[in-house]
Amino acid sequence: MGGELGSLVAAKLEAEPWVGALVGIDVDPPRRRLRKAEFHLLQPSQRERIVDVVTKFNPHVVINLSVWEPDARAGLAHARQFTADAATAIIGAAAECPALEGMVVRSGIEVYGRERNSDTRPTESTHMHPTSEYGLMLANVERKAREVGKRVGIAVGKLRLAPVLGKHVPSPLGRLLRQPVVPFSLFADSPFAVIEDGDAARAFVLAAASRLDEPLNIVAPGAITTLQAIMRGRRVPLPMIGPEWYVASKLSHVLGAPIPDHVVELMHRGRLADGAKALEVLGFSPALSTPEVIDHLYAWESVVRIGSIQAAVA
Amino acid sequence: MAQLIEFPVKAATRAGHALAEPLRAAWPTHSVDDYGRDPYLISALAPFTKLRWSVTVGGTHHLPAKTGALLVCNSRRYSLSAVYAALALSEETERPVRFVGRPDIAPIGPFMRRIGGLLAKPSDVLSALSHNELVLVAAEGTSHPRNAGKVPHELIGPAVVAGVQVFPVATMSSTIGRAARVEVGPAVRARRKRRGPLAEVELADQVQHHLQRMLDGFGGVQTGVAPIDWLAEG
Repeated sequence: MGGELGSLVAAKLEAEPWVGALVGIDVDPPRRRLRKAEFHLLQPSQRERIVDVVTKFNPHVVINLSVWEPDARAGLAHARQFTADAATAIIGAAAECPALEGMVVRSGIEVYGRERNSDTRPTESTHMHPTSEYGLMLANVERKAREVGKRVGIAVGKLRLAPVLGKHVPSPLGRLLRQPVVPFSLFADSPFAVIEDGDAARAFVLAAASRLDEPLNIVAPGAITTLQAIMRGRRVPLPMIGPEWYVASKLSHVLGAPIPDHVVELMHRGRLADGAKALEVLGFSPALSTPEVIDHLYAWESVVRIGSIQAAVA
Repeated sequence: MAQLIEFPVKAATRAGHALAEPLRAAWPTHSVDDYGRDPYLISALAPFTKLRWSVTVGGTHHLPAKTGALLVCNSRRYSLSAVYAALALSEETERPVRFVGRPDIAPIGPFMRRIGGLLAKPSDVLSALSHNELVLVAAEGTSHPRNAGKVPHELIGPAVVAGVQVFPVATMSSTIGRAARVEVGPAVRARRKRRGPLAEVELADQVQHHLQRMLDGFGGVQTGVAPIDWLAEG
């Protein structure tokens, strides 16, 4: 509930007539003003406290958004650890709640992987074969949720999100695309799709309301290539052929925009998915297309200097 | 006190604008569709493809206007018949026609994806057909231009699953000349209703049979110069 997506989901849930009480757990405080929700500031490693909070509340629905994308808010090792700890604690605690009817977990289209000859636009029935660290982390979250769902007999919905971009969403892809100079693969400039955080939050609310019991791809319509995104943002495109990617990623890390393996994979092999089923099952249709989300990415305000604000106020 | 080292953002932004503006004017910043096909690139390549093939297209009235359909063409080895037929049919029908059989290795794979290529996988074909796309599959390559090769039933299966019609597309081109022909035949209907995988196996055989009949109807190439005609016969 403390991250941007979590806060958005909580705010949207508060506005839902079917939601009575709401409890959230995160390592950061909520980023929005929440009126009904009760918040607990807990680390993913504090399993006993998490279990205590969740079981006392005894919810009907649990939404697990606690997924740390590598190099978004934490480096790979920490992201892996936090995601695994949070999934064990929250999904495990949910299983102990007698009133629980359903659980919705955050996953991503990275679970399909981009190995050679993998589907151009995987559907929900495509076999999961993650080829990046992030994909493996998400596949583990899905597996844990599925096992618990089977064991206690509850509905488990898995929302496989395209890379989430939004105004304050920490995203390695968004950060990289906003750099003044952006590398792209000259010979493999492949298309990818994204989703805006507001649309992703709406999908979670719909999934929770309908007690979703299957995986769904949540993807904005349309696609864009890295070069086209760079051109839309009026950045300097830096063509790459192959081996210099290593140097570029290290340099980008130093400059404050690390490029994790799933982002490199996206830029080389593309990342598309078929999101048609979400419309059938949830009636969910993203408000923004992929190029529009990219435009919003570049429309954000850059660093706002306090001095200039003070001067403007004076 | 530590000093903050700042990247020269303004200079880089100005350079970015200076570099990007001419490119933005020359190339649209959003031109790929949901499968990665780039109609703008295809139209930019059209003069070059027309240097190689001058394609006469016929029978497009058989094709559905909005729904998906699977098209199956014959293929002479190394003739790229699926590519020129898909490009010609796209131009004629004003609908994207995607061809099946792109490799998944850079730089050819991503390039072929941009001109409408799909992987030769039933799941890729099914995905496109279920989104009302026109998909062109090539039969096995043959050495003779008027022989229809075996039609891969694995790629016909998605049409049966998606419930779309299957059309034979006879293609003919010369190894040395520019002249090429693409003729779409009427939809092939399965003779028997099958519940299992025999449906696609039998449908594939029927499509091959239809293709052969269409190719027989084409006749040989007649340029008036016998040695050239023999060469064109493969």
